[in-house]
Amino acid sequence: MMHAMGNGTGELLTIGDMELEVIRRGTGQPILLLHGMQNVDPQAPFLDLLSQRAAIIAPSHPGFGHSPRQQGFDTVYDLVHLYLEMIESLPYERLTLMGLSFGGWLAAEIAVTCCHRIDRLILVDAFGIKISDRETPDILDVFNTSPQEVRRQSWHNPEQWAPDFNTMEDDAIIVHARNWEALCLYAWHPYMYNPQLPRWLRRITRPTRVLWGASDGIVTPAYGRAYSALIPGARFEIIPEAGHHPEIEQSAAFVERVVAFLEEHCV
Amino acid sequence: MDAWFHNENPYPFVPQEVLDRADSVRASLPNHYCDPRIAADLFEETLDEFLLCDEHGINVVAIEHHAGINSLFGANPLILGILARQTRTARILSLGTLISLRPDPVRIAEEYATADVISRGRLEIGFVKSGGSEMASNNANPVTNIERFWEAIDLITKALTSHAGPFRWEGKHFTHRHVNIWPRPWQQPHPRMWAATGDPTTASEVGRRGMVNVLVLRGAEETRRAWAAYRQARVEAGLPHVSSDHFAYAAFVYVGDTHAEGVKVGNKLLWFLNTSLKSAPQYSRFLPGAVPPQLAPQVYRTAPRSAAATNSNGAGTAGAAQPVAPAFQNARSLIGINTEQAMQRGLLFAGNPDTVYQQIMDFYAKVGGFNHLVMIGRSGFMTHAETEKSIKLFGKEVLPRLQAIAPIAVN
Repeated sequence: MMHAMGNGTGELLTIGDMELEVIRRGTGQPILLLHGMQNVDPQAPFLDLLSQRAAIIAPSHPGFGHSPRQQGFDTVYDLVHLYLEMIESLPYERLTLMGLSFGGWLAAEIAVTCCHRIDRLILVDAFGIKISDRETPDILDVFNTSPQEVRRQSWHNPEQWAPDFNTMEDDAIIVHARNWEALCLYAWHPYMYNPQLPRWLRRITRPTRVLWGASDGIVTPAYGRAYSALIPGARFEIIPEAGHHPEIEQSAAFVERVVAFLEEHCV
Repeated sequence: MDAWFHNENPYPFVPQEVLDRADSVRASLPNHYCDPRIAADLFEETLDEFLLCDEHGINVVAIEHHAGINSLFGANPLILGILARQTRTARILSLGTLISLRPDPVRIAEEYATADVISRGRLEIGFVKSGGSEMASNNANPVTNIERFWEAIDLITKALTSHAGPFRWEGKHFTHRHVNIWPRPWQQPHPRMWAATGDPTTASEVGRRGMVNVLVLRGAEETRRAWAAYRQARVEAGLPHVSSDHFAYAAFVYVGDTHAEGVKVGNKLLWFLNTSLKSAPQYSRFLPGAVPPQLAPQVYRTAPRSAAATNSNGAGTAGAAQPVAPAFQNARSLIGINTEQAMQRGLLFAGNPDTVYQQIMDFYAKVGGFNHLVMIGRSGFMTHAETEKSIKLFGKEVLPRLQAIAPIAVN
């Protein structure tokens, strides 16, 4: 069930006893978009580009954006089950599931569990698994790294794209801080991965595309390639001149890849 | 009034240019800068200072901090064990094991009970909420820290007070299938408990639980505010009034022969503020959960928004609620403070025995009374000899006057 939010920040989507802020944009085949470390900016150009081809449903996870978070809702397990419930409640037999970064982890978990409701899976610079040995972290610990270094590693062109708190409006900073806190709550330990997930990725039987920013220093393309190799039939593609957020830094190229993937399997 | 001697056992012998270059002097400074031979000397001196306090009727405090120049006490129970055995009459305050960062509160309860028994009932148990850099050093999720803090206290208290055989704990953050500590504590039902906080919300819960609320380097205004919250919470909960015996204040203290000497040497204590608090942004203002998100605009920005930007949305930060400073903001306000400011704010009591006594009593009057003075008596480059001199002068000349002050009603 959806209705407009009173404060103009977007729509609300009710799932069971929870309400989520949600962006709905476009018509066409449905895409459930699970955001990463920050919720999706309603002004992001990739939304408009992609909405010409698909119907995007982009909720803010509980605790992110303007979505409330209930007491005790504080694990990736909760998030996965929330979105499983959402997928079952949406009026589509199948939808495309797209996960960015942290949301890519959620998307992979959901796809392992619920392939029969998923048409295609798109993982973008996704977290979720551990590849390297115990002394080699795969995912930059954003909570234990200087903000300057996180900024450097996040973007191909940080000068152009990194957020500047000194010029952001209050509400945008408040949302940023909510996102930061919620992310830490959900993903502190184990940091951004489920040790059991690699074993079960073989259960993903739907067409899968893994897109990666060539300059991503948060999770490298090598990690993405290894991740992709664990999903049967998945194809890995690099997006040049993009860091951890190719949908922002290279919105046109990003949408082009997504649309090509959607059309490829429509025929 | 009682006095409690506190020395964090800092390790100041790292070249200043290294400290200037480091983004944090806690958590991430490589430990090759810590020479274990120097550390051994520092432990010996510090433990001897505690024994000297014992001779002079001054109680002792053992703290815990991790991976920084500010303190070599990374394992509070080890220090408690030594003090429990080597002191004879002093009460020993643990302030404290970082309970919200350790995975097993039952083991902490066992350590406390052991120290209480070895000391034959001289242990006092203080709880501290821990700082940002310690979340990194101890691998602890900062967002759920306060939840773990209270659950750990509940479990420790139950472990100390349950004597009828094993019980089971299935809490949100801690689970234990079989809690039955040996030994049980000497003091019944358990050693007195303290909690260090300047945050009125936490102080309210400390009040409802009837613990001693200790304010560390918070000055008069924040101290009054926390203790008012403590008392108000008790009134609202229908609990009996408490006396000043439930309130403690921690400040730097140095006593010299003359006022000038006391101030001059006491000034060395400010190293703690000016050098040892430096903490990287990921451990302070950007630590998740460090401030409520609605306060983030004033904390995240390094410069105020330009007038044009503020006017464009007509908001700026003017409408944001003015909160009580979280601990890291308090720390930030203390960096760079000078002697005069520290004395004026009630963070440093320094001088000769008469002027130190007077400064303590002035502060006592400003905050409405407290029965425990925690004296941070050594820090930075203050020498062992200088520290011992102050302990002796304090014990002989100041302490008897403070001990003559009985607990008062504080309602």
